[in-house]
Amino acid sequence: MHSRFFLLILIIAGLVVAFVPLSFRPIAPQERTFRIGARQFAYSPSELKVNPGDKVTIQLVSTDVVHGLYIDGYDISIEADPGQTAALNFFADKPGSFRFRCNVTCGAMHPFMIGKLTVGSNQWLYRSIGLSIIAAISLFFIRSTRPSDRQLPITIY
Amino acid sequence: MKRLELLSRILITLAIVGAVGTPLYFWSRTPLIHARIAENGGWTPDVIRANVGEPLHLKLTSDDVVHGFAVGQMDMQSVDVLPGKVTDLTLIFDKPGIYTFYCTRWCGLNHWRMRGTIEVGGSSSDTQPASAPLYVTLKINIDAPHNAPTIPVQKPSALRGQSFSTQLPITNSTNYYRANSPYQVFDELSNTSLTETERWDVAAYLWQSNTTAESLANGQRLYAQNCAACHGENGAGDGVFADDLTALGATLQRSMTGDNKMTMQTPADFTDPKRMMGASPALLQGKILRGGMGTGMPMWGSIFTEEQIWDLIAYLYSFQFEYQK
Ligand code: HEC
Ligand SMILES: [Cu+2]
Ligand SMILES: [Cu+2]
Repeated sequence: MHSRFFLLILIIAGLVVAFVPLSFRPIAPQERTFRIGARQFAYSPSELKVNPGDKVTIQLVSTDVVHGLYIDGYDISIEADPGQTAALNFFADKPGSFRFRCNVTCGAMHPFMIGKLTVGSNQWLYRSIGLSIIAAISLFFIRSTRPSDRQLPITIY
Repeated sequence: MKRLELLSRILITLAIVGAVGTPLYFWSRTPLIHARIAENGGWTPDVIRANVGEPLHLKLTSDDVVHGFAVGQMDMQSVDVLPGKVTDLTLIFDKPGIYTFYCTRWCGLNHWRMRGTIEVGGSSSDTQPASAPLYVTLKINIDAPHNAPTIPVQKPSALRGQSFSTQLPITNSTNYYRANSPYQVFDELSNTSLTETERWDVAAYLWQSNTTAESLANGQRLYAQNCAACHGENGAGDGVFADDLTALGATLQRSMTGDNKMTMQTPADFTDPKRMMGASPALLQGKILRGGMGTGMPMWGSIFTEEQIWDLIAYLYSFQFEYQK
């Protein structure tokens, strides 16, 4: 009987993890500026995190040859020569994870010049981690309580 | 009947082949110019021949990164030279001579070394004798240090300077401006009733009165495209290649005079009042025309027109002076 109660708690916990909106920290849109250095064949920083609704400015600073920066999903790009910082402004209105890459041939390893833009806290990642932990616990729990489980219909209700 | 038809068929086929083939033939005959970063050879070929008044067809492609192509001192739009693509270009020269073509997209520390020549043959009616640059006639040693002994305590303002500019013991003219440094103006005003700050303000006013908003904007554009990678976008000598140049200088220990060995390879800081207040436009022009001769400062004499260089110089002083908009 204890076990049934525990199972209920696990199910509720699962539902909470999966569906409760994560709005305990209300996120007001901000203006964010990133200064990204580009050189053959990497960006630094190569990972950007913003919140949905943020007004984002990316300044691209090339330090060797001409590089570009194209953001998948947003379909916008800039190009920078060394000495001429280029700026890209956009509203992060599409949540998710997007790849950005160099769209100017800048040498042999050019196709590997990539980075990542994450818009929004990565909720699905956290939720699925939480859910799998709960699943693991319940699996373990159900296994160990199986014999008593069979008797449950008689004792309860 | 049959033969006539055959004949006309042959004729039509020949006409079509000719119409398509002739331009194709000429296109394939224009040599393809390859662009590579300077370390890997720059332009091949790097000498092109042409004749006055005859169109010169060029095909350009890049073997590595993005480059650009333009001809110095020529009124033309630069074109991009991209890897894996062929750019067509037609040029017409109306004066014989040796022209310099150069890369217009930054492709590394040695980008500015990517240059070649176009030898344009033919006779011309007007051959102006090249006049010696101002620093030569004024006998300025452009390699000597030229720091101003004193510097302004605040940024000199052209607006304030204008109010003192009447009744000055100096005559403002283009020649006067080009031959003197702001410090010389400051010094010449020392026996007037003006305070030191006011004397610097007058210099700012004189400098502004010898340029225009248009020239400054043009200078700024040229500076961003050609100078900022070394001298910094804000003129502070901290461009993206500044550290590379300094490192190169340290390894090469290149020196012309011995005493300023380490600074030889560091791009000049135009925000430094000592340097700029002590430099006349003629001195800066000399440096830009001739280059540093091994310091890392390129020579621009064959690239820019005289007017473009004066515009650049006017812009360089704007890091020091507050101009009214
Ligand atoms: C490849 C790097 C590089 C580029 C590009 C470059 N410079 Fe320089 N420049 C230098 C270095 C290094 C020095 C300092 C050594 C010297 O004075 O020769 C210098 C010095 C100068 C000086 C001398 C200042 C003085 O007080 O004597 C002037 C003027 C100047 N540069 C103007 C320009 C202009 C204008 C451009 C663009 C059209 C330009 N430079 C582009 C590297 C560069
Ligand atoms: Cu790149
Ligand atoms: Cu180039």
